[in-house]
Parts: sequence; structure tokens; C-alpha cells
Amino acid sequence: MELFLQTLIDGLLIGGLIIVVGIGFSLCFGVMHIVDFAVGEWVMLGAYTGFILVRYFGHDPMIYLPLVFLTFCALGWAIYPLIYRAISGKRHNPVLMGLVFTFTLSILAKGGALSVWGYHIQSITTWLSGKSLALGPLTIPALRFSGFLFGILITLLLMLFLYKTRLGITIRATAQDREMANLLGTDVKKVGALVYSLYAGITGMSGILIGALFSIHAAMGVKYCTLAFFVVVLAGMGYVPGVIIAGLILGLLQSFVGVYIGGRYNLVALFMVMYGVLLITPKGILRRGI
Amino acid sequence: MIIGLIFIFLGVTGIELVRAQEKRDFFKVGVVTSLSGELAFGGTVTKRGYDLWADTVNQLGGIEIEGKKYKVTLVYADDQSTPATAAVAGERLITQEHVDFVLGPYASGTTLALAPITEKYKIPHITGSAESPLIWKRKFKYTFGTIPTVSLIAQASIQTMARDVTPKPKTIAILGIDDAFSKFAAEAFKLAAEKEGIKVVKYEIVPEGSDYTPQVTAIKARNPDLFAMGSHEKAAIEMIKIAKELKFNPKAFIQHYGMTTPDFRKGLGKDANYVFGTSVWTPSMKHAATLLFKSPKEYADAFKAKFGDDPEYTNAGSTAAGIAFQEALRAIKAKPPLNQEQKDALVAALEKLNIMTFYGPIKFAAEGDFYHCNAGLQPVALQYQDGKLVEVGPGKLRVVAPKFPTPSWDKR
Amino acid sequence: MPLKNGHTQPHTSASPWRWALLGLALLIASLLPWTLSPLWIRIATEVIMWAGLAQSWNIIGGYTGYLSFGHGAFFGVGAYITGIAMLHLGWPFALGLLISGIAAALMAVIIGYPTLRLRGAYFAIATWAFGEMIRQIATILEITGGAFGMQLPAYLNLPFFYYLFLLVTGLTYLTTYLLLERSPFGYKLLAIREHEEAAEMVGVDTVIIKIKAFALSAFFPGVLGGIYAYWVTYIHPDSVLGAIITDFMVVMAFLGGIGSLWGPFLGAGLIQLVNRYLWLVWGEGTFYLIIIGAAICAVVLFIPSGIIGLLESRIFLPRASWKEIRKRVKW
Repeated sequence: MELFLQTLIDGLLIGGLIIVVGIGFSLCFGVMHIVDFAVGEWVMLGAYTGFILVRYFGHDPMIYLPLVFLTFCALGWAIYPLIYRAISGKRHNPVLMGLVFTFTLSILAKGGALSVWGYHIQSITTWLSGKSLALGPLTIPALRFSGFLFGILITLLLMLFLYKTRLGITIRATAQDREMANLLGTDVKKVGALVYSLYAGITGMSGILIGALFSIHAAMGVKYCTLAFFVVVLAGMGYVPGVIIAGLILGLLQSFVGVYIGGRYNLVALFMVMYGVLLITPKGILRRGI
Repeated sequence: MIIGLIFIFLGVTGIELVRAQEKRDFFKVGVVTSLSGELAFGGTVTKRGYDLWADTVNQLGGIEIEGKKYKVTLVYADDQSTPATAAVAGERLITQEHVDFVLGPYASGTTLALAPITEKYKIPHITGSAESPLIWKRKFKYTFGTIPTVSLIAQASIQTMARDVTPKPKTIAILGIDDAFSKFAAEAFKLAAEKEGIKVVKYEIVPEGSDYTPQVTAIKARNPDLFAMGSHEKAAIEMIKIAKELKFNPKAFIQHYGMTTPDFRKGLGKDANYVFGTSVWTPSMKHAATLLFKSPKEYADAFKAKFGDDPEYTNAGSTAAGIAFQEALRAIKAKPPLNQEQKDALVAALEKLNIMTFYGPIKFAAEGDFYHCNAGLQPVALQYQDGKLVEVGPGKLRVVAPKFPTPSWDKR
Repeated sequence: MPLKNGHTQPHTSASPWRWALLGLALLIASLLPWTLSPLWIRIATEVIMWAGLAQSWNIIGGYTGYLSFGHGAFFGVGAYITGIAMLHLGWPFALGLLISGIAAALMAVIIGYPTLRLRGAYFAIATWAFGEMIRQIATILEITGGAFGMQLPAYLNLPFFYYLFLLVTGLTYLTTYLLLERSPFGYKLLAIREHEEAAEMVGVDTVIIKIKAFALSAFFPGVLGGIYAYWVTYIHPDSVLGAIITDFMVVMAFLGGIGSLWGPFLGAGLIQLVNRYLWLVWGEGTFYLIIIGAAICAVVLFIPSGIIGLLESRIFLPRASWKEIRKRVKW
């Protein structure tokens, strides 16, 4: 029984992290219909940025979260015009262009990271590392728990932003019907840039947490790209609240498969679930996707 | 069509003209290793080992053959961490650069792709790193390895657990990563444990890069005395971090060679203490040699002076590969450039080689499952104590007593 | 005869001097193994293999408009099936190849039936996931050697493999030419790519056609994978099922010009040669990743129809070519 509960907790906590990675990604797709292949690389870059900041300025990496957020927002804002150009206009097949372009960005990011930092694995620690709360016979690792809280918090903030502010409503309108929003006076390009920079900022921030929890290396992006895809497919592309549920489900799935069946089947199980969802309910399990 | 023209152009520039054996008064040594790609960290390890050998030899004037000294030039070819490129790299070094012999790759996969090439062209080839038993099973005549295969090494720590500590541990859980090297390490742990009468309560192999929390949770629930990690250092670092978070306190953490790397120390800091591992070489061993480096300490000092880091056994194995060639060349009195007859003689000399170096004895097995592997090297069990690596067994190989059982995380 | 952006029309009959050029190129290609050093034979072989792979992807990605991001799985499956056939079953190489191709095509049918229903990004993600899953399965199974990889018997006859690759790649291009550029099948694919609903309304059985195209696009990588396994003698889930294989396929087809007949060949040649040249000249480093990445970025941003688009205009309108290029390269 104890094992079951611990597995449950582990799963929920892992889910929290997954939520963080999936949330910006989902928004990005929802509004601009861009599948950003480079999502893992944003995480990686965020992690490395945190690493550098800690290296040169010391202190706990958590302190740099806001700084990294702003930096990556700016980066996203700067890169967006290029993406826009790639997917817009009289281009043939915007989906392909978007995919290939973001995919290329990920190659560039990976190559750049490798050239600059090489293959050495780095890690960063925070005051939360290694600490855990005891809940009876169960253990709740502190850092993981804060990752979970972070995920929930960001999701709630984002939802507040999307549903309760003017700008948020504009964004949602653009997501629903771009042409109409354009006709009604929204600067679609600006909205896209805003969304992309938000996404970059959030994902970059999550990189620090992930770097503290796991290790940092140039090729770490693939794993998070996979997870982001999963979450977003399960949640329904573009449906932000669904990300919480999807993230948690995936976390639980990973945890239970890992403990009771065997870690080797972890990815296979994940893929099968995602596959099934894509085929049976392509709009996500809550059927609210795009 | 344009591509066709480009091909002609390239073909012309690359044409193999029949030329007389070029005159050279230095040895040209080809090196295939991972200078890029995901195994580049390992490739660098071998590169440093090979570089240190070449530089030291050249500082002494060169390899001495019949009174005259011949310098050594290393020609590098990157295998990009993929077997296909390793094969191309081999082709290039052998057919274009006309190297005398080859120092081999870091990884087993790339070595397996390179070995048929060196076999085809009959070029002697020693790898200072690759450890997979698969290589030796294929019985390549021209390929040798200075590092004993992992299945022979991993047992040292288990043996130390079984024989040198009290109370004797009864159970062990093994978590391994699903890659060529790590899986072998995990299997080696399992076999060794079974041989020593320690019960394997959980044996799991997981894909690289996954989150190990569920596995460690499941293992913790079984409450084993020992926790063995069959992996490279990156995964081991994460597993130990997770163990700390989950407050998993086995009586001992056992890793393999990864714990000897600087990355491991840096990654875990104080948490690296009490972890057991194995190595076939440490800088504090007592080998006394005459060739190039007289003792492990001398090598370690030279290495640190050149690279700023402490060496680990793969560096040593790579340098030892160079030394093996050096000795064999002296034995057959061959002068560069080597013709085919001399290369075959080199292989025969390598087979007969039985020398003591700073790295330990080098004697390649002449038959059996570990054909041409330096199987005679004695592995030793290590432990981190107060931030330093010390030899703790098995048996008479110990320098310091092992600290067992490992204190729980709260008490450190 | 200017082509619109994106090659929306299949080529009509090519002028005779184009045939002559092709013949000459083939002649040169078949003579290469006699003139090149083994190193360059290997490199040439690689280029040919990738040309075949890129074109295979082009069939489903370029002509049909369905972006298969897990296409490398067919290559890897082909490699493993040949490996298993030769190693565990003791079957001859040729038989292994045939089975690899058929198995890959069959797998495409099985996977294609449910996934080709998805559109655009969903299909891309689904196939991407499929590719990763196959890689995981290969790592888990015993028969594939799992994480240890598989070693095939060594057969070191470089010209043999060169000609074999040349043959299969040639077949790929021939099939593409006959079936996609010259037949109603190709028009149907085009219709599906441009406007699938309209195609259905006009009576095109999109489901069957798509599956056929997908199976076709999987057959060749399967065979090429089988040859590759025997050629390199050591295969491993990461080396034959890694995502990088699909990545290269897509990028090469894209660079050369998707939806065109010769685009993938140009793309494959350029990228693989640049890759190898950088490796030879620079010797090491991950810098080529950056260069390739930057190059593709530039292509996406400025020349979306690939190199072929660029070249085509020059060939057909020598005088107005400058204007065409200006139009095509949107700056």
C-alpha cells in the first residue's frame, strides 16, 4: 500500500514538471498553429543560462527565474518575425515550413550549445535539492514538489491572463479565428509575437528547474520535446487547461509503469497511449483541442 | 548531372595512384575516436591518453629501434560517434594517409565497425577503451584492447562486499541503463552477486534519459542491502540524487568506473562519499615500470601538468595502447614506414607481449572468449572517502578499509 | 515553361538534351568505383544512399503533402530485418533485402491506415512518435540484440555495395518518375496535397491512394536499410533508428526542393558532401551542425522551393532568369 501511495505521489510530482514544459507549447500551437520542434532546446538553453548565472554570480539558481523569464521572452520576441516569415505569405504548405524551421532552430541551438559547452554534463543545485518532506511513511522530495507547484502556479497565472484580461481575450480570439480577429482590428503578428515570447520565457524558466532536478547537457532537449508532444496531444492541441490533467495523467502513467511493469516499457507505454489518443480522440481526451 | 561533374573532380583529386612506398622517418599512427557526436566526452578521454603518449615519446626523441629514434605523428579521424563514420574514418586513414597502425575508438559500437576495416587491410589496431565483450568474441586477428572487458571488472566491488565487510550483505538490487556498456555492467554485477551468494532482489534495465524515480522507489520498497548502478556516471549521478531525495539508504551504493571521473565528483559533491566503484587503474597503485612512465604517480603528474585534470583509467589504457605498440615495434625492430610483412610481424609481437607498464601488466589473451583482450589486469574496488578515492579491496588489494555500512542521508 | 512556386504541376516531357545529360551522369556514376579511392567510394555510396532515402521521403512528404517525421523507422526496420534474416535465420542477403522492403511497406500500411486520417501537424507528431517507439522496441527486444546492437558477417566489397545502392536508388527515382510524374497516380497525389476535400469530391479514393503512396515511400528505405546493415556490418538502435535519419531525409528533400524529382538528389548530395568535407577538412567538431542548420534556415526563409526551384528558372528561361530568381528568392 505504501508503495502504491509513494508511486502515486511520484507520478503527480513528475506530472507537475511535464505540465510546465507542455503549457507554453500548447499555447503556441493553439494560437499560431506552430509545432515548435525546438521546445526541448528552449528548456536546454534555459538550463544552461541558469548554470552560467550560477557559475558567475553565485547564489541559488531559483533567484534567477524572473531574469531568465524576461531574457527568454525577449529572445522569443526577437525570433518570432523569422518564424512568421517562414509560415506566412504565399508559402506553400505553412505547416511544413513551420515544422522545418523550428526543427532547424533546434539543430542550431543544439549545435551551438555543443560548440560552446561541449559534452560535459553539468548540474546545478538549489537549497531545495536533496531535501524532502516526510508524510508518514512517504517521502516527498522538496524540489520536485516545488516544480509541481511551479507548474500549477504558472498554469493558473496563464489561465487568469487568458480569460480575465483584455489581451488574453484577444489572444484567444486569434486562436479561434485568425482571419476574423484580423478583420476586427487585432494585430495578429503582434499577438503571435507575444504568445511566442511568453512560451519561450516559460519554457526557458522551466529549464532551470529541470537542470536542478536532472543534469544539464546539450542533448537533453529531445526528452522534453517528446514529453511536450505527449502532453499537448493528450490535452488537446491549444487547450491550455487540459495540460494540467494531461500532464498529471502522463506523470502517473510513467510512475506506475516504471514501478510495477518495468522502466523499459515506459516509453513504449507512453507512445501507445499517445498513439491511441491521436487515433481515437485526436482533439485530446477532453475533446477541446483544435 | 552537376553532382556527377563534382564527383569526377573529386575522383580525380582522390585517385589512388600506384606509388612507390613513400619514404618516412617517423611513425604515422592513425587514431579513430569520437571527437564529435554524443560520445565526444569519451573520445576526448582517449585523445588525451593517446596525445600524452605521443608527446612523451617524442620528448624523449622518439621510439628507439636499433639505436635510432623515430618520432611519432598522430593522425586523427573523427568517427562522429557513429559506426558508419568510424568505417569511413578507418578507410581514410589506411588508404589515404597510409598509417602504420591504428589506435582505436572510445566506444564499443564504433570499434565494432572499425575492426572489420582494419582486418581487411591487415592493419594492427589497439583500442585503449572499448570494453564490450562482443568485440573479443568476434576474434579479430588485427584488433587488440588494453582494457579488460567489463564483465571481468565489475565483480571486484561485489567481491569486496561479499568478503571484506561486516555484516555480510544478503541482498542486492541492480539498476542498469539500456546501452551497450551499461547493460553489460549490470549483468556483470548480477553474475558476480549470484556467485558470491548475494540474492538479487530486483534487476531492472531502463532506457537512458528516463526519470529514474519510479525505479528507485520500487527498489527502496524492497529494502536491499546493496544498490548497484550499471551505468555511465551521468545516470549514476541522477540515481544517487534521487536516492537522496527519496531517503533511500542501502548499506552501500555501488557504481562502476563512472565514479572515478571528475564529472562524478563535481556533479555530486559531498554526496559522492561512500560510493563504491571499480577500476583497473588508479594513480595510487604501485606498479613499477620502465617504459615511458615509471609509476602511476608519474603518469598522473604528467597528465595533470598537461591537461589540468586527474587521469582516470581510460586515459591510462589509451596511453598503454601506445606503449604496447612501442614495445612490439622494438621487439620486431621495424622501421617506418611499415610494409605488410612488418605489420603482420607486429601483430605476432603483440600477441607475445608480456610487459609491465605504469598501467599494469599488458598481456593480450591469445585465445578464448577474450581473444586479444588484456584480460590479465586485476580490477580493484574503490570507494570515495572524504572526497578521495581509495582502494578498498578485494582482499589484499586494499589500501584502506571500506566504510560500511553507509550512514543514512540525514546523518551525513 | 515556368513552374509555379511549389511545383504544383508535374513535369511534362523533358527535352532530349536532358535525357542525354542523365545518360552521361549515369555513365559517370557507373564508372566511379574504378577511378575513386576507397574513401571516396564510401562517400559516394553514402550520397547515393541518402539520395534514395530523401526521395523516398519526398514521395509521401513532398508529392502527397503528408509530413512523415518518423520515416527513419522504415530504414531501421529494414536494416534489422535483413540482419535478423541473415544472422538468425541464415537466409541469403538478397532474400533478406526483399523481405525488408516488403516488411517496411507492410508496416507502412498498418500504421498508415489509422494515421493517414490525421492532418498536418498531427500526422507529423504521430509518425514522429511511431519512429521513437520503434527505436525503443528495438532496444528492448532480444532478437535485435537490444542495446548491444547487431553484428552482421563482414563482406568488404566496396564496389558491390556501391552498385547495389546505385541500383536501388535508381529504382527509387525511376519509380517516382513513372508513377508520380507520369501517371494519373501522381495527379491524384497532387490533388490530395493541394486540396484533399476537393479531391475526394471529385472521386479520388484518398484513403487508398495515400496508403499506397505511404507504402511505396516505405519500401525503398526498407531495402536501403537492409543494404546498409550489410555494408556497415554493425547496427544499433541509435545508429539506424535514430531521429537524425528522418531529420536528414527531410532536410535533404527540403533543401533540394520537395515535390520535385531531382530535388532530393541535389539536397542529399550537397548536405552529405558538405558534411564529409567539413569532417575531412576540419577533422572534428560539431560545427557542421550549425552550418547545416543555418543553411536550412536560409532556405526556409528565402528559397522555399529549394535549389531546384532556383535552378529550374534558370534552365528554362535563360534570359529572364535573373528576374525569376529575384521573384523566387523572396528578399
